[in-house]
Amino acid sequence: MADEVTADPGRHASWIIAWFALDAVVALAPPLYWAVDGNRASLLGLPTAVLYFVAVAVFITASIVAAYLAESRVAEGG
Amino acid sequence: MLITFECIAVFFAVIIVILQLSGVRDRSFTEYAVGGRSFGANYQAMSFLNTWYPGAMFTAFGGMAASAGVISFYVLSYSLLTVVLMYLMARPVWVWGKTFDLRTQPDLLALRFDSRHIKTIAAVIGIVSGIPWLVLGMQALGTLFQHMSLGALSFSEAVMVGVGIIALRQVWTVRMGMRGVVISDMAQGIIAYIVGGAVLVGLIVWMIVSQGITFASLDAGKFAIPGIGSKEGPLYVFSLILTGTIGGWCWPYIFVRLFTADGVHSLKRSAALAVPLSLAFGVALLVFGMLGSQVAGVAAKPNDVWFIVSQEAGGPWLLGLAGVVVLAASMGHTDGNIQATGAQIANDLVGNYWTLDQRQLIIIAKLGMLGLTILSSWLACLELPALFQLAVLAYQGIIQLAVPQFLGIFWKRGNKYGAITGMTAGFAVAVVLELIYPGYLPWAYGLTSGAVALSVNLAIYVAAAYLLPQSREERTRIEKLFALIEARRSTSLDALNASPQSV
Repeated sequence: MADEVTADPGRHASWIIAWFALDAVVALAPPLYWAVDGNRASLLGLPTAVLYFVAVAVFITASIVAAYLAESRVAEGG
Repeated sequence: MLITFECIAVFFAVIIVILQLSGVRDRSFTEYAVGGRSFGANYQAMSFLNTWYPGAMFTAFGGMAASAGVISFYVLSYSLLTVVLMYLMARPVWVWGKTFDLRTQPDLLALRFDSRHIKTIAAVIGIVSGIPWLVLGMQALGTLFQHMSLGALSFSEAVMVGVGIIALRQVWTVRMGMRGVVISDMAQGIIAYIVGGAVLVGLIVWMIVSQGITFASLDAGKFAIPGIGSKEGPLYVFSLILTGTIGGWCWPYIFVRLFTADGVHSLKRSAALAVPLSLAFGVALLVFGMLGSQVAGVAAKPNDVWFIVSQEAGGPWLLGLAGVVVLAASMGHTDGNIQATGAQIANDLVGNYWTLDQRQLIIIAKLGMLGLTILSSWLACLELPALFQLAVLAYQGIIQLAVPQFLGIFWKRGNKYGAITGMTAGFAVAVVLELIYPGYLPWAYGLTSGAVALSVNLAIYVAAAYLLPQSREERTRIEKLFALIEARRSTSLDALNASPQSV
Protein backbone atom coordinates (compact mmCIF):
# COMPACT_ATOMS: atom_id res chain seq x y z
CA MET A 1 0.00 0.00 0.00
CA ALA A 2 2.93 2.34 0.58
CA ASP A 3 3.37 2.97 -3.15
CA GLU A 4 -0.32 3.62 -3.64
CA VAL A 5 -0.33 6.25 -0.92
CA THR A 6 3.09 7.78 -1.20
CA ALA A 7 2.66 8.82 -4.84
CA ASP A 8 0.78 11.68 -3.27
CA PRO A 9 1.87 14.46 -0.94
CA GLY A 10 0.31 14.19 2.49
CA ARG A 11 -0.86 17.77 2.75
CA HIS A 12 -2.11 20.29 0.24
CA ALA A 13 -0.02 23.43 -0.26
CA SER A 14 -1.59 26.54 1.20
CA TRP A 15 -2.02 28.14 -2.24
CA ILE A 16 -4.09 25.13 -3.33
CA ILE A 17 -6.35 25.41 -0.29
CA ALA A 18 -6.67 29.17 -0.92
CA TRP A 19 -7.61 28.59 -4.57
CA PHE A 20 -10.17 25.94 -3.60
CA ALA A 21 -11.66 28.34 -1.05
CA LEU A 22 -11.86 31.02 -3.75
CA ASP A 23 -13.67 28.48 -5.97
CA ALA A 24 -16.39 28.29 -3.34
CA VAL A 25 -16.54 32.07 -3.02
CA VAL A 26 -16.91 32.81 -6.74
CA ALA A 27 -19.46 30.02 -7.22
CA LEU A 28 -21.54 30.67 -4.13
CA ALA A 29 -21.31 34.36 -3.19
CA PRO A 30 -24.77 35.77 -3.99
CA PRO A 31 -23.62 39.38 -4.74
CA LEU A 32 -21.64 38.06 -7.71
CA TYR A 33 -24.58 36.48 -9.46
CA TRP A 34 -26.95 39.24 -8.39
CA ALA A 35 -24.62 41.63 -10.22
CA VAL A 36 -25.07 39.82 -13.54
CA ASP A 37 -28.80 39.12 -13.16
CA GLY A 38 -30.47 39.88 -16.48
CA ASN A 39 -27.29 41.29 -18.02
CA ARG A 40 -27.20 40.26 -21.68
CA ALA A 41 -24.53 42.72 -22.79
CA SER A 42 -22.04 40.80 -24.91
CA LEU A 43 -18.60 40.26 -23.41
CA LEU A 44 -16.04 38.02 -25.15
CA GLY A 45 -18.87 36.91 -27.42
CA LEU A 46 -21.15 35.74 -24.61
CA PRO A 47 -23.93 37.48 -22.67
CA THR A 48 -22.50 38.67 -19.33
CA ALA A 49 -24.83 36.42 -17.28
CA VAL A 50 -23.66 33.34 -19.24
CA LEU A 51 -20.03 34.49 -19.15
CA TYR A 52 -20.16 34.67 -15.33
CA PHE A 53 -21.07 30.99 -15.02
CA VAL A 54 -18.59 29.93 -17.71
CA ALA A 55 -15.82 31.95 -16.01
CA VAL A 56 -16.63 30.33 -12.64
CA ALA A 57 -16.51 26.90 -14.28
CA VAL A 58 -13.16 27.60 -15.93
CA PHE A 59 -11.77 28.96 -12.64
CA ILE A 60 -12.76 25.81 -10.72
CA THR A 61 -11.49 23.52 -13.47
CA ALA A 62 -8.14 25.32 -13.56
CA SER A 63 -7.77 25.01 -9.79
CA ILE A 64 -8.14 21.22 -9.81
CA VAL A 65 -5.86 20.70 -12.82
CA ALA A 66 -3.23 23.05 -11.34
CA ALA A 67 -3.41 21.32 -7.95
CA TYR A 68 -2.96 17.91 -9.53
CA LEU A 69 -0.03 19.02 -11.71
CA ALA A 70 1.70 20.75 -8.79
CA GLU A 71 1.22 17.82 -6.40
CA SER A 72 2.40 15.32 -9.04
CA ARG A 73 5.57 17.34 -9.48
CA VAL A 74 6.15 17.43 -5.71
CA ALA A 75 5.60 13.66 -5.46
CA GLU A 76 8.00 12.96 -8.34
CA GLY A 77 10.59 15.26 -6.77
CA GLY A 78 10.27 13.33 -3.51
CA MET B 1 -38.24 4.06 -36.77
CA LEU B 2 -36.16 1.11 -37.95
CA ILE B 3 -33.02 3.28 -38.17
CA THR B 4 -33.34 4.67 -34.66
CA PHE B 5 -33.98 1.26 -33.09
CA GLU B 6 -31.08 -0.21 -35.08
CA CYS B 7 -28.77 2.42 -33.56
CA ILE B 8 -29.99 1.48 -30.07
CA ALA B 9 -29.63 -2.25 -30.76
CA VAL B 10 -26.06 -1.91 -32.08
CA PHE B 11 -25.02 0.17 -29.06
CA PHE B 12 -26.62 -2.28 -26.62
CA ALA B 13 -24.91 -5.21 -28.35
CA VAL B 14 -21.50 -3.48 -28.20
CA ILE B 15 -21.84 -2.89 -24.44
CA ILE B 16 -22.82 -6.52 -23.85
CA VAL B 17 -19.89 -7.76 -25.95
CA ILE B 18 -17.49 -5.54 -23.95
CA LEU B 19 -18.89 -6.92 -20.70
CA GLN B 20 -18.76 -10.53 -21.90
CA LEU B 21 -15.15 -10.15 -23.05
CA SER B 22 -14.06 -8.56 -19.80
CA GLY B 23 -15.80 -11.09 -17.56
CA VAL B 24 -13.75 -11.71 -14.43
CA ARG B 25 -14.93 -13.92 -11.61
CA ASP B 26 -14.96 -12.03 -8.30
CA ARG B 27 -13.27 -14.04 -5.57
CA SER B 28 -14.18 -11.82 -2.64
CA PHE B 29 -16.91 -9.37 -1.67
CA THR B 30 -14.40 -6.51 -1.91
CA GLU B 31 -13.79 -7.51 -5.54
CA TYR B 32 -17.54 -7.59 -6.16
CA ALA B 33 -18.42 -4.39 -4.25
CA VAL B 34 -15.51 -2.08 -5.15
CA GLY B 35 -13.79 -3.91 -8.02
CA GLY B 36 -10.89 -4.92 -5.79
CA ARG B 37 -9.75 -1.24 -5.62
CA SER B 38 -8.05 -1.81 -8.94
CA PHE B 39 -9.04 1.00 -11.28
CA GLY B 40 -6.71 3.64 -12.65
CA ALA B 41 -7.43 7.30 -13.30
CA ASN B 42 -9.01 6.97 -16.76
CA TYR B 43 -11.60 4.44 -15.62
CA GLN B 44 -12.20 6.41 -12.43
CA ALA B 45 -12.79 9.67 -14.30
CA MET B 46 -15.26 8.18 -16.75
CA SER B 47 -16.99 6.13 -14.09
CA PHE B 48 -17.51 9.25 -11.98
CA LEU B 49 -18.93 11.19 -14.95
CA ASN B 50 -21.15 8.34 -16.09
CA THR B 51 -22.65 8.06 -12.62
CA TRP B 52 -22.82 11.80 -11.97
CA TYR B 53 -24.49 12.87 -15.23
CA PRO B 54 -27.54 10.68 -15.92
CA GLY B 55 -29.53 10.67 -19.15
CA ALA B 56 -31.82 13.20 -17.49
CA MET B 57 -29.08 15.79 -18.06
CA PHE B 58 -30.17 15.91 -21.69
CA THR B 59 -33.86 16.08 -20.87
CA ALA B 60 -34.29 17.77 -17.46
CA PHE B 61 -31.32 20.17 -17.54
CA GLY B 62 -31.32 20.62 -21.33
CA GLY B 63 -35.02 21.39 -20.90
CA MET B 64 -34.36 23.77 -18.02
CA ALA B 65 -31.84 25.68 -20.16
CA ALA B 66 -34.45 25.87 -22.93
CA SER B 67 -37.29 27.02 -20.68
CA ALA B 68 -35.62 29.00 -17.87
CA GLY B 69 -32.29 29.99 -19.45
CA VAL B 70 -29.07 30.88 -17.70
CA ILE B 71 -30.13 29.75 -14.19
CA SER B 72 -29.68 26.18 -15.46
CA PHE B 73 -25.92 26.80 -15.31
CA TYR B 74 -26.07 26.22 -11.56
CA VAL B 75 -25.76 22.50 -12.38
CA LEU B 76 -22.35 23.14 -13.92
CA SER B 77 -21.16 25.16 -10.90
CA TYR B 78 -22.03 22.44 -8.42
CA SER B 79 -20.88 19.60 -10.68
CA LEU B 80 -17.39 21.13 -10.80
CA LEU B 81 -17.30 22.34 -7.21
CA THR B 82 -18.12 18.83 -6.03
CA VAL B 83 -14.90 17.58 -7.70
CA VAL B 84 -12.98 19.97 -5.43
CA LEU B 85 -14.50 18.05 -2.52
CA MET B 86 -13.48 14.80 -4.19
CA TYR B 87 -9.93 16.08 -4.47
CA LEU B 88 -9.85 17.01 -0.79
CA MET B 89 -11.49 13.77 0.38
CA ALA B 90 -9.43 11.49 -1.85
CA ARG B 91 -6.62 10.79 0.59
CA PRO B 92 -8.50 10.27 3.87
CA VAL B 93 -11.29 8.21 2.35
CA TRP B 94 -9.05 6.02 0.20
CA VAL B 95 -6.48 5.44 2.96
CA TRP B 96 -9.16 4.46 5.49
CA GLY B 97 -10.92 2.39 2.84
CA LYS B 98 -7.81 0.42 1.95
CA THR B 99 -6.62 -0.01 5.53
CA PHE B 100 -9.93 -1.21 6.96
CA ASP B 101 -11.34 -2.85 3.82
CA LEU B 102 -14.27 -0.41 3.65
CA ARG B 103 -16.70 -1.11 0.83
CA THR B 104 -19.53 1.38 1.36
CA GLN B 105 -20.20 4.87 2.66
CA PRO B 106 -21.87 3.55 5.87
CA ASP B 107 -18.70 1.47 6.45
CA LEU B 108 -16.74 4.72 6.66
CA LEU B 109 -19.24 6.34 9.03
CA ALA B 110 -19.17 3.23 11.24
CA LEU B 111 -15.38 3.37 11.36
CA ARG B 112 -15.17 7.09 12.09
CA PHE B 113 -17.86 7.09 14.79
CA ASP B 114 -17.26 3.57 16.08
CA SER B 115 -20.97 2.82 15.79
CA ARG B 116 -22.80 -0.10 14.27
CA HIS B 117 -26.14 1.73 14.29
CA ILE B 118 -24.96 4.67 12.22
CA LYS B 119 -24.16 2.14 9.51
CA THR B 120 -27.76 0.89 9.46
CA ILE B 121 -29.26 4.39 9.58
CA ALA B 122 -27.05 5.71 6.77
CA ALA B 123 -27.75 2.63 4.65
CA VAL B 124 -31.52 2.86 5.11
CA ILE B 125 -31.50 6.59 4.25
CA GLY B 126 -29.34 5.92 1.18
CA ILE B 127 -31.35 2.97 -0.12
CA VAL B 128 -34.80 4.47 0.48
CA SER B 129 -33.80 7.85 -0.96
CA GLY B 130 -32.32 6.27 -4.07
CA ILE B 131 -35.43 4.32 -5.12
CA PRO B 132 -37.54 7.29 -6.36
CA TRP B 133 -34.58 8.47 -8.47
CA LEU B 134 -34.06 5.00 -9.89
CA VAL B 135 -37.74 4.83 -10.87
CA LEU B 136 -37.63 8.35 -12.36
CA GLY B 137 -34.55 7.39 -14.39
CA MET B 138 -36.37 4.37 -15.79
CA GLN B 139 -39.46 6.41 -16.59
CA ALA B 140 -37.30 9.02 -18.35
CA LEU B 141 -36.39 6.30 -20.83
CA GLY B 142 -40.04 6.47 -21.89
CA THR B 143 -39.39 9.89 -23.42
CA LEU B 144 -36.35 8.47 -25.20
CA PHE B 145 -38.15 5.51 -26.70
CA GLN B 146 -41.19 7.53 -27.66
CA HIS B 147 -38.91 9.73 -29.77
CA MET B 148 -37.04 6.72 -31.13
CA SER B 149 -40.36 5.28 -32.31
CA LEU B 150 -41.09 8.59 -34.08
CA GLY B 151 -44.32 8.81 -32.09
CA ALA B 152 -45.52 5.28 -32.96
CA LEU B 153 -45.39 4.17 -29.31
CA SER B 154 -47.60 5.74 -26.66
CA PHE B 155 -45.75 7.08 -23.61
CA SER B 156 -46.75 4.13 -21.43
CA GLU B 157 -45.68 1.66 -24.14
CA ALA B 158 -42.37 3.52 -24.49
CA VAL B 159 -41.81 3.37 -20.71
CA MET B 160 -42.30 -0.40 -20.81
CA VAL B 161 -39.78 -0.78 -23.66
CA GLY B 162 -37.27 1.41 -21.79
CA VAL B 163 -37.77 -0.47 -18.53
CA GLY B 164 -37.41 -3.80 -20.35
CA ILE B 165 -34.09 -2.77 -21.90
CA ILE B 166 -32.58 -1.27 -18.75
CA ALA B 167 -33.75 -4.29 -16.71
CA LEU B 168 -32.12 -6.66 -19.22
CA ARG B 169 -28.92 -4.65 -18.93
CA GLN B 170 -28.92 -5.33 -15.17
CA VAL B 171 -28.25 -9.03 -15.81
CA TRP B 172 -24.61 -8.07 -16.31
CA THR B 173 -24.60 -5.63 -13.38
CA VAL B 174 -25.78 -8.41 -11.08
CA ARG B 175 -23.34 -10.93 -12.54
CA MET B 176 -20.27 -8.72 -12.59
CA GLY B 177 -20.78 -6.24 -9.75
CA MET B 178 -18.61 -3.14 -9.61
CA ARG B 179 -16.09 -4.39 -12.16
CA GLY B 180 -18.84 -4.62 -14.78
CA VAL B 181 -20.17 -1.20 -13.83
CA VAL B 182 -16.80 0.56 -14.14
CA ILE B 183 -15.74 -1.18 -17.37
CA SER B 184 -19.05 -0.38 -19.08
CA ASP B 185 -18.93 3.17 -17.68
CA MET B 186 -15.85 3.76 -19.83
CA ALA B 187 -17.62 2.79 -23.09
CA GLN B 188 -20.90 4.43 -22.07
CA GLY B 189 -19.11 7.59 -20.92
CA ILE B 190 -17.23 7.97 -24.20
CA ILE B 191 -20.54 7.78 -26.08
CA ALA B 192 -22.50 9.98 -23.66
CA TYR B 193 -20.07 12.82 -23.01
CA ILE B 194 -17.43 12.78 -25.76
CA VAL B 195 -19.62 11.75 -28.72
CA GLY B 196 -22.59 13.50 -27.10
CA GLY B 197 -20.49 16.63 -26.54
CA ALA B 198 -19.36 16.61 -30.18
CA VAL B 199 -22.99 16.30 -31.32
CA LEU B 200 -23.94 19.21 -29.03
CA VAL B 201 -21.22 21.41 -30.55
CA GLY B 202 -22.31 20.40 -34.05
CA LEU B 203 -25.93 21.27 -33.26
CA ILE B 204 -24.92 24.63 -31.77
CA VAL B 205 -23.04 25.44 -35.01
CA TRP B 206 -26.05 24.26 -37.02
CA MET B 207 -28.40 26.52 -35.06
CA ILE B 208 -26.12 29.56 -35.42
CA VAL B 209 -25.09 29.11 -39.05
CA SER B 210 -28.10 27.46 -40.62
CA GLN B 211 -30.93 28.77 -38.45
CA GLY B 212 -29.53 32.18 -37.50
CA ILE B 213 -30.19 31.58 -33.80
CA THR B 214 -27.90 33.46 -31.39
CA PHE B 215 -28.10 34.65 -27.78
CA ALA B 216 -29.43 37.92 -29.16
CA SER B 217 -32.52 36.02 -30.38
CA LEU B 218 -33.45 35.01 -26.83
CA ASP B 219 -35.84 37.02 -24.70
CA ALA B 220 -34.59 38.91 -21.65
CA GLY B 221 -36.17 36.44 -19.21
CA LYS B 222 -33.64 33.78 -20.24
CA PHE B 223 -30.86 35.81 -18.57
CA ALA B 224 -32.60 36.28 -15.24
CA ILE B 225 -30.99 34.89 -12.07
CA PRO B 226 -33.14 35.03 -8.93
CA GLY B 227 -31.84 37.88 -6.78
CA ILE B 228 -33.13 40.44 -4.27
CA GLY B 229 -36.85 40.95 -4.82
CA SER B 230 -37.25 37.78 -6.89
CA LYS B 231 -40.10 35.32 -6.30
CA GLU B 232 -37.71 32.54 -5.23
CA GLY B 233 -35.58 34.70 -2.93
CA PRO B 234 -32.01 36.04 -3.05
CA LEU B 235 -30.37 32.90 -1.63
CA TYR B 236 -32.14 30.43 -3.88
CA VAL B 237 -29.24 29.91 -6.32
CA PHE B 238 -26.74 29.82 -3.43
CA SER B 239 -28.81 27.09 -1.82
CA LEU B 240 -29.08 25.04 -5.03
CA ILE B 241 -25.32 25.14 -5.63
CA LEU B 242 -24.41 24.47 -1.99
CA THR B 243 -26.73 21.50 -1.56
CA GLY B 244 -25.77 20.15 -4.99
CA THR B 245 -22.07 20.36 -4.18
CA ILE B 246 -22.12 18.64 -0.83
CA GLY B 247 -25.18 16.51 -1.52
CA GLY B 248 -23.62 14.70 -4.46
CA TRP B 249 -21.25 12.83 -2.20
CA CYS B 250 -24.09 11.68 0.03
CA TRP B 251 -25.38 9.31 -2.67
CA PRO B 252 -23.92 5.84 -2.02
CA TYR B 253 -23.31 5.21 -5.74
CA ILE B 254 -21.22 8.39 -6.03
CA PHE B 255 -19.32 7.95 -2.76
CA VAL B 256 -18.29 4.38 -3.58
CA ARG B 257 -16.21 5.74 -6.51
CA LEU B 258 -13.66 6.78 -3.87
CA PHE B 259 -13.14 3.12 -2.97
CA THR B 260 -12.74 1.71 -6.49
CA ALA B 261 -9.48 3.52 -7.34
CA ASP B 262 -6.10 1.81 -7.12
CA GLY B 263 -4.62 4.68 -5.12
CA VAL B 264 -4.88 8.29 -3.96
CA HIS B 265 -2.87 9.48 -6.94
CA SER B 266 -5.33 7.84 -9.35
CA LEU B 267 -8.25 9.51 -7.60
CA LYS B 268 -6.65 12.95 -7.87
CA ARG B 269 -5.62 12.33 -11.47
CA SER B 270 -9.17 11.23 -12.24
CA ALA B 271 -10.44 14.52 -10.81
CA ALA B 272 -8.04 16.44 -13.07
CA LEU B 273 -9.20 14.38 -16.08
CA ALA B 274 -12.91 14.60 -15.28
CA VAL B 275 -13.22 18.36 -14.77
CA PRO B 276 -12.20 19.56 -18.26
CA LEU B 277 -14.57 16.97 -19.76
CA SER B 278 -17.32 18.01 -17.38
CA LEU B 279 -16.71 21.68 -18.20
CA ALA B 280 -16.82 21.17 -21.97
CA PHE B 281 -19.86 18.89 -21.84
CA GLY B 282 -21.77 21.08 -19.38
CA VAL B 283 -21.18 24.36 -21.25
CA ALA B 284 -22.07 22.74 -24.59
CA LEU B 285 -25.29 21.21 -23.20
CA LEU B 286 -26.54 24.36 -21.48
CA VAL B 287 -25.66 26.71 -24.37
CA PHE B 288 -27.34 24.19 -26.70
CA GLY B 289 -30.46 24.18 -24.52
CA MET B 290 -30.67 27.98 -24.41
CA LEU B 291 -30.27 28.37 -28.18
CA GLY B 292 -32.48 25.34 -28.83
CA SER B 293 -35.40 27.15 -27.20
CA GLN B 294 -35.75 29.03 -30.50
CA VAL B 295 -36.21 25.90 -32.60
CA ALA B 296 -39.83 25.22 -33.59
CA GLY B 297 -41.64 22.90 -31.19
CA VAL B 298 -39.19 23.27 -28.29
CA ALA B 299 -41.11 26.01 -26.48
CA ALA B 300 -44.07 23.65 -26.09
CA LYS B 301 -41.90 20.68 -24.99
CA PRO B 302 -38.61 22.05 -23.60
CA ASN B 303 -37.59 18.71 -22.06
CA ASP B 304 -37.53 17.22 -25.56
CA VAL B 305 -35.08 19.85 -26.88
CA TRP B 306 -32.29 17.28 -27.43
CA PHE B 307 -34.47 15.00 -29.55
CA ILE B 308 -36.35 17.74 -31.42
CA VAL B 309 -33.22 19.63 -32.51
CA SER B 310 -31.33 16.41 -33.39
CA GLN B 311 -34.16 15.20 -35.61
CA GLU B 312 -34.59 18.63 -37.18
CA ALA B 313 -30.88 18.93 -37.97
CA GLY B 314 -29.97 15.38 -38.97
CA GLY B 315 -33.10 13.30 -39.51
CA PRO B 316 -33.53 9.76 -38.17
CA TRP B 317 -29.80 8.90 -38.11
CA LEU B 318 -28.94 11.81 -35.83
CA LEU B 319 -32.06 11.14 -33.79
CA GLY B 320 -30.87 7.55 -33.40
CA LEU B 321 -27.46 8.75 -32.25
CA ALA B 322 -29.14 11.18 -29.83
CA GLY B 323 -31.06 8.24 -28.40
CA VAL B 324 -27.88 6.18 -28.01
CA VAL B 325 -26.21 9.07 -26.17
CA VAL B 326 -29.08 9.39 -23.67
CA LEU B 327 -29.27 5.61 -23.20
CA ALA B 328 -25.50 5.49 -22.56
CA ALA B 329 -25.79 8.17 -19.87
CA SER B 330 -28.88 6.51 -18.33
CA MET B 331 -27.26 3.09 -18.19
CA GLY B 332 -24.26 4.36 -16.23
CA HIS B 333 -26.41 6.03 -13.62
CA THR B 334 -28.89 3.16 -13.24
CA ASP B 335 -26.21 0.46 -13.08
CA GLY B 336 -24.24 2.41 -10.48
CA ASN B 337 -27.34 2.97 -8.35
CA ILE B 338 -28.42 -0.69 -8.44
CA GLN B 339 -24.91 -2.03 -7.79
CA ALA B 340 -24.26 0.26 -4.83
CA THR B 341 -27.65 -0.52 -3.31
CA GLY B 342 -27.12 -4.27 -3.60
CA ALA B 343 -23.73 -3.96 -1.94
CA GLN B 344 -25.29 -1.94 0.88
CA ILE B 345 -28.07 -4.45 1.48
CA ALA B 346 -25.47 -7.20 1.94
CA ASN B 347 -22.73 -5.23 3.69
CA ASP B 348 -24.58 -2.66 5.79
CA LEU B 349 -27.93 -4.28 6.59
CA VAL B 350 -27.71 -8.08 6.56
CA GLY B 351 -23.96 -8.26 7.13
CA ASN B 352 -24.19 -5.73 9.96
CA TYR B 353 -26.15 -8.17 12.12
CA TRP B 354 -25.14 -11.62 10.87
CA THR B 355 -21.66 -12.95 10.25
CA LEU B 356 -21.47 -13.86 6.58
CA ASP B 357 -18.63 -15.30 4.55
CA GLN B 358 -17.48 -13.77 1.25
CA ARG B 359 -19.66 -16.02 -0.88
CA GLN B 360 -22.78 -15.33 1.18
CA LEU B 361 -22.19 -11.58 0.98
CA ILE B 362 -21.93 -11.77 -2.82
CA ILE B 363 -25.08 -13.88 -3.09
CA ILE B 364 -27.07 -11.48 -0.88
CA ALA B 365 -25.80 -8.49 -2.87
CA LYS B 366 -26.87 -10.18 -6.11
CA LEU B 367 -30.29 -11.02 -4.68
CA GLY B 368 -30.62 -7.43 -3.47
CA MET B 369 -29.81 -6.08 -6.94
CA LEU B 370 -32.26 -8.48 -8.53
CA GLY B 371 -34.99 -7.51 -6.08
CA LEU B 372 -34.33 -3.81 -6.58
CA THR B 373 -34.38 -4.17 -10.37
CA ILE B 374 -37.73 -5.97 -10.24
CA LEU B 375 -39.22 -3.51 -7.72
CA SER B 376 -38.10 -0.36 -9.57
CA SER B 377 -39.12 -1.80 -12.97
CA TRP B 378 -42.58 -2.54 -11.61
CA LEU B 379 -42.92 0.92 -10.00
CA ALA B 380 -41.72 2.58 -13.22
CA CYS B 381 -44.61 1.03 -15.13
CA LEU B 382 -47.18 2.45 -12.67
CA GLU B 383 -48.64 5.93 -12.66
CA LEU B 384 -47.26 7.54 -9.50
CA PRO B 385 -48.29 11.20 -9.46
CA ALA B 386 -46.30 12.09 -6.32
CA LEU B 387 -43.10 10.40 -7.51
CA PHE B 388 -41.21 13.57 -8.45
CA GLN B 389 -42.15 15.27 -5.16
CA LEU B 390 -41.00 12.15 -3.35
CA ALA B 391 -37.67 12.28 -5.21
CA VAL B 392 -37.10 15.93 -4.25
CA LEU B 393 -38.03 15.05 -0.69
CA ALA B 394 -35.51 12.20 -0.75
CA TYR B 395 -32.79 14.52 -2.00
CA GLN B 396 -33.35 17.10 0.73
CA GLY B 397 -33.23 14.25 3.23
CA ILE B 398 -30.18 12.36 2.01
CA ILE B 399 -27.96 15.44 1.98
CA GLN B 400 -28.19 15.35 5.78
CA LEU B 401 -25.52 12.63 5.64
CA ALA B 402 -23.12 15.41 4.64
CA VAL B 403 -22.59 16.72 8.19
CA PRO B 404 -21.22 13.55 9.82
CA GLN B 405 -19.54 12.55 6.57
CA PHE B 406 -17.53 15.71 5.91
CA LEU B 407 -16.96 16.76 9.51
CA GLY B 408 -16.07 13.18 10.35
CA ILE B 409 -13.40 13.18 7.66
CA PHE B 410 -11.95 16.63 8.29
CA TRP B 411 -12.50 17.29 12.02
CA LYS B 412 -11.24 15.15 14.88
CA ARG B 413 -13.94 16.29 17.25
CA GLY B 414 -17.48 15.01 16.96
CA ASN B 415 -19.07 11.81 18.19
CA LYS B 416 -21.68 9.24 17.31
CA TYR B 417 -24.32 10.92 19.46
CA GLY B 418 -24.07 14.18 17.55
CA ALA B 419 -23.73 12.37 14.22
CA ILE B 420 -26.81 10.17 14.66
CA THR B 421 -29.01 12.80 16.37
CA GLY B 422 -28.00 15.57 13.95
CA MET B 423 -28.50 13.41 10.87
CA THR B 424 -31.86 12.08 12.04
CA ALA B 425 -33.13 15.52 13.14
CA GLY B 426 -31.87 17.07 9.89
CA PHE B 427 -33.68 14.41 7.85
CA ALA B 428 -36.93 15.00 9.76
CA VAL B 429 -36.69 18.80 9.48
CA ALA B 430 -35.94 18.58 5.74
CA VAL B 431 -38.92 16.29 5.10
CA VAL B 432 -41.37 18.40 7.15
CA LEU B 433 -40.21 21.69 5.59
CA GLU B 434 -40.28 20.25 2.06
CA LEU B 435 -43.83 19.00 2.58
CA ILE B 436 -44.98 22.41 3.86
CA TYR B 437 -42.87 24.58 1.51
CA PRO B 438 -42.05 22.58 -1.63
CA GLY B 439 -39.14 23.98 -3.64
CA TYR B 440 -37.89 26.79 -1.43
CA LEU B 441 -38.69 28.58 1.81
CA PRO B 442 -40.04 32.07 1.24
CA TRP B 443 -39.28 33.15 4.85
CA ALA B 444 -35.67 31.93 4.57
CA TYR B 445 -34.73 34.15 1.61
CA GLY B 446 -35.09 31.27 -0.83
CA LEU B 447 -33.03 28.66 1.01
CA THR B 448 -34.23 25.13 0.31
CA SER B 449 -35.56 22.83 3.04
CA GLY B 450 -32.37 20.75 2.86
CA ALA B 451 -30.15 23.79 3.43
CA VAL B 452 -32.12 24.92 6.50
CA ALA B 453 -32.12 21.36 7.85
CA LEU B 454 -28.36 21.18 7.33
CA SER B 455 -27.89 24.11 9.70
CA VAL B 456 -29.98 22.32 12.38
CA ASN B 457 -27.97 19.14 11.76
CA LEU B 458 -24.67 21.03 11.97
CA ALA B 459 -25.65 22.81 15.18
CA ILE B 460 -26.50 19.49 16.85
CA TYR B 461 -23.25 17.86 15.67
CA VAL B 462 -21.05 20.73 16.88
CA ALA B 463 -22.96 21.11 20.16
CA ALA B 464 -22.60 17.40 20.91
CA ALA B 465 -18.90 17.55 20.02
CA TYR B 466 -18.31 20.11 22.77
CA LEU B 467 -20.94 19.07 25.30
CA LEU B 468 -20.10 15.35 25.17
CA PRO B 469 -16.32 15.20 24.87
CA GLN B 470 -14.70 12.02 23.56
CA SER B 471 -13.34 9.58 26.11
CA ARG B 472 -9.56 9.14 26.31
CA GLU B 473 -9.78 5.80 24.44
CA GLU B 474 -11.94 7.31 21.72
CA ARG B 475 -9.60 10.29 21.37
CA THR B 476 -6.65 7.93 20.98
CA ARG B 477 -8.52 5.89 18.38
CA ILE B 478 -9.41 9.01 16.39
CA GLU B 479 -5.84 10.32 16.63
CA LYS B 480 -4.59 7.05 15.16
CA LEU B 481 -7.12 7.22 12.36
CA PHE B 482 -6.02 10.72 11.41
CA ALA B 483 -2.37 9.77 11.81
CA LEU B 484 -2.89 7.27 9.00
CA ILE B 485 -3.86 10.11 6.68
CA GLU B 486 -0.91 12.22 7.70
CA ALA B 487 1.51 9.33 7.31
CA ARG B 488 3.62 9.64 4.19
CA ARG B 489 6.33 7.71 2.39
CA SER B 490 8.44 5.62 4.75
CA THR B 491 6.27 6.43 7.72
CA SER B 492 3.09 5.24 6.10
CA LEU B 493 3.71 1.55 6.58
CA ASP B 494 4.66 2.01 10.21
CA ALA B 495 1.50 3.92 10.87
CA LEU B 496 -0.58 1.29 9.12
CA ASN B 497 0.96 -1.46 11.22
CA ALA B 498 0.05 0.46 14.34
CA SER B 499 -3.47 1.11 13.13
CA PRO B 500 -6.49 0.65 15.37
CA GLN B 501 -8.82 -2.31 15.13
CA SER B 502 -10.65 -3.01 11.94
CA VAL B 503 -14.37 -2.25 11.56
